[in-house]
Amino acid sequence: MPKQEFDVLIIGSGHSGGMAASVLTQKGISCLMLDAGPEVDLTKNRVSKAPWDLPYRGFNKPGRLPHVVQANEFNANQWVDEKEIPYTHDPANPYNWVRVRFVGGRSLFWGRQSFRLSDWEFNAAEIDGTGDSWPIRHADLDPFYSKTEAIFRVSGRKEGKAHFPDGNFLDADYGPDSTTVKKITDIATARGFLVSKIRASNGRNGQASSVNLLLPDALATGKLQIVPNAIVRQITVDKNTGLANGAYFVDRHSREELHVKARVVVLAAGTLESTRLLLNSGLANSSGVLGHYLIDQLYGVQVVASVPEARGGNVPEGMMGGTALLPRFRNLKKGEGRNFIKGYGMMIASGGGASPGFFREYGEELQKKLDLHAGACMTASIYGERVPRFENHARINKNVTDAWGIPVLHIDVKDSANEYNMAKDAADTAEEMMKAAGWDILSKTDKFHPPGYSIHEVGSCRMGDNPKTSVLNKWNQCHDVKNMFVVDGGCFVTCGWQNTTLTMLALAMRASEYLADQMKARAI
Amino acid sequence: MRTMAAAPAVPAALVLEQATQAQTPAARPAGQPIANGKRDAVGEPVAHFFTAPQLAALRRLSDLLMPPMKGEPGALDAGVPEFLDFLIGQSPADRKQLYRSGLDMLNAHAAKQFGKPFAELDAKQADAIVRPLLVLVPWSFELPKEPGARFLAAAHDDIRTATRNSREVSAAAVAAGRRPLGAQLYFLPVDPIYKG
Repeated sequence: MPKQEFDVLIIGSGHSGGMAASVLTQKGISCLMLDAGPEVDLTKNRVSKAPWDLPYRGFNKPGRLPHVVQANEFNANQWVDEKEIPYTHDPANPYNWVRVRFVGGRSLFWGRQSFRLSDWEFNAAEIDGTGDSWPIRHADLDPFYSKTEAIFRVSGRKEGKAHFPDGNFLDADYGPDSTTVKKITDIATARGFLVSKIRASNGRNGQASSVNLLLPDALATGKLQIVPNAIVRQITVDKNTGLANGAYFVDRHSREELHVKARVVVLAAGTLESTRLLLNSGLANSSGVLGHYLIDQLYGVQVVASVPEARGGNVPEGMMGGTALLPRFRNLKKGEGRNFIKGYGMMIASGGGASPGFFREYGEELQKKLDLHAGACMTASIYGERVPRFENHARINKNVTDAWGIPVLHIDVKDSANEYNMAKDAADTAEEMMKAAGWDILSKTDKFHPPGYSIHEVGSCRMGDNPKTSVLNKWNQCHDVKNMFVVDGGCFVTCGWQNTTLTMLALAMRASEYLADQMKARAI
Repeated sequence: MRTMAAAPAVPAALVLEQATQAQTPAARPAGQPIANGKRDAVGEPVAHFFTAPQLAALRRLSDLLMPPMKGEPGALDAGVPEFLDFLIGQSPADRKQLYRSGLDMLNAHAAKQFGKPFAELDAKQADAIVRPLLVLVPWSFELPKEPGARFLAAAHDDIRTATRNSREVSAAAVAAGRRPLGAQLYFLPVDPIYKG
């Protein structure tokens, strides 16, 4: 019996897929959403356990998740099993791909920091004097940012600075600054740096996911079906028109293959999975840039200082606690003459402790040091922007398949002088400010994690006005296949220093409204 | 068997009566598990992986780096050397090799400098071997390159974590009226692939 043809097939149910479903169904468009993973009820799926009651005493099972630095024995089951769905890379160029496969995807677990990109990112080529800009500017995305901020209930402090655009914020109660946060704020301000505060999605009932903020509205229309455990293997096209007409998917449990028909296909499987699916389908790559310009953010640089007046376990009231956020302050003007382009944000947190590795001690002597500095430390860490480069790419490795026989990705990404120089500048700058505050540096490192670690991987399916140098147009629509859209982070042209989710959501909303209008006008 | 064999000085009728009474089961609160024991509370760990000289050196190192402090159990009380024998024995080859050669190195240094195994060194002698291997590890995600320092940094971290995460340290904290450390939310497996 022939099955229903859906208006739109949405592949992936995380933030971007959820946003697409929410927008499209509320405009009367029938959607089928396929997700590769099972459904999970977070209220029931987590139980309190002591580490000694786990088989490996809180250590992760050795060798289970070699690329997921974030994994431990408590959360090991929330990540994609690297043996079930492997990927490959040159051992000399590690890439830490951190994945989740559940209905709701990584939106179930994200850190919720919610910043807008600015025109220093959208218009990067002009600011940097090299590379490419986005085909859109902040003004194009502004209304969609605002609507997204309302749904996610983003709180923040307005600053009135174009390089750190304000949003549609709930009032945030940061409380009074501790004296150490005041001190570092004064020092940073004296150097001409803007000092602000975290902007975060509050969500509802302790969650800010696709599952609780986006999909319920879509389901309420009666226009959405969500099928879990459906792994899309290949998008199919009509031979006569060249348009997408559906997809093959594999049942996660039985491995039975089925086909579904749709008038439009929206990919929202996550940056690298959407790119993998397009590459495996042999689609959308007349430009030859599909898989290329894969970017993410530079994390790991850290400077820790100890506040002399707060040592010894007797922190004076009001001295420690809270954070200061320094939005990007480098290369805001052209011609600053630095040995790197782009910039980084910096977070300075007050009130932590020292790590054992900061001292050449052990046993009781080490414990005395740890006790001395407990609660007395200031920690600076950065959110750095990596440079998009054609040679940093993912391609299909035909020799390796996942548990469902689908060819996997080979990821080939290297850092360059720009990343190393930026990291050094960040560590030096944090150290200089902390010394100026009269604090003692306990540890300084300009090392950073391999690419992928930030879980902010974007690009590889970038947008642009020129079909010869980009995969998508400015509406997230494939240049090559007009009824196919990619609405996840794959479309990013530059990654910015800012956490990527809010921009992904706003772009997915904008693309979906455009798609709905085009379908209504019968242009698609 | 011995008690069974000894003839009970109780009339058979009375035995039957007791048996009948015993058929009324004790009330058990709903949802309370019937298995109330813990493996590590009843069983002795059996070391399989390290050689006897390696394990002896690991015991000495564990006690040196994480001794009992402020009334809290140390690494030996927490069974850390035996746990690490299990953990490292399950680990990838490079981790196994790091530990084996590191412990052999401690014994070799001890033999050369003091003419006895590392396990038999006093605190001052052990310090003379361990101190030069201690380097700053500002970035915990990357161990030092030099093999001796690399081993010591890895072992130091593992010994500290295995001690902190032990039942013994937590029980001592509870006994001292402090909150036990370590309980976290464990994410259960979700719908594992059907295997038939």
